[in-house]
Amino acid sequence: MRKLALISIPVTVVLLGVTSYLALEVAPTEQTMGDVQRIFYYHVPSGWVAFLCFFINFVASVVYLWKRSAASDAMAAAAAEVGVVFCTVLLITGPLWARPVWGIWWTWDARLTTTLVLWLIYVSYLVLRRFAAGGQTQVLAAAFAIFGFVDVPIVYMSIRWFRTQHPSPVIGGGQGSGLDPAMARVFLANLAAFTLLGILFLVLRYKLQVKEQALELAHAEAALKGGSQ
Amino acid sequence: MNPITFLKAAYIVAWVVYLGYPGRILLRMGRMEEERKDLERKGTGSPE
Repeated sequence: MRKLALISIPVTVVLLGVTSYLALEVAPTEQTMGDVQRIFYYHVPSGWVAFLCFFINFVASVVYLWKRSAASDAMAAAAAEVGVVFCTVLLITGPLWARPVWGIWWTWDARLTTTLVLWLIYVSYLVLRRFAAGGQTQVLAAAFAIFGFVDVPIVYMSIRWFRTQHPSPVIGGGQGSGLDPAMARVFLANLAAFTLLGILFLVLRYKLQVKEQALELAHAEAALKGGSQ
Repeated sequence: MNPITFLKAAYIVAWVVYLGYPGRILLRMGRMEEERKDLERKGTGSPE
């Protein structure tokens, strides 16, 4: 595990450095928006990693309800927190891109609103895990996560189902959509780098959660010993 | 405001979050390790 970390951390850092350079210097300038469009290379991969983490949270929650394993509960908690981190960056970089392009920071269109709701759902999930008392917190959190995940496909489809201020899909959209090949290469490199970063965060956060579980158990045992003396 | 300012702001915010988050996790791990050692010192045994 330590060996894997020793390799994967420098690889991710170098990859992020290279892809940032590609995004800022090498990718062609978009004709209508100009240089500010380069936010795209951070904005979309952040959203992708957030979706991926929420999906992992969903799967881990289902597994927890089925098997009641501490490992799946730890993975669910870790994935939700990492997802919230990436979703936060998505929600900050979006308005920073919107202001110079649309002339407004925010609008309550379907894509933006459902994304904000998604962030609120997973922040609520983390608050629930942190503050709910009693032995059923994990079960409650897992059930909450399964219902909460319903918003992910809604966010994804919102720009297809509704007319929004947010642009129509550039990738996987209809006729006339698509990226310039030079932009697509830079985008895919950034997507790979961010995915790797997300996985690193997930592994790190999972280890922390496992330690937390072990410590909680130790505290409970200590309290039992104290009570029986 | 110059659009480049928004581009710079977005990149700075993203990097502050992406560098700060693992730092926060490592701090929490450190605190937890201290707590674990403290428990061991009190003679309750290793939690792991």
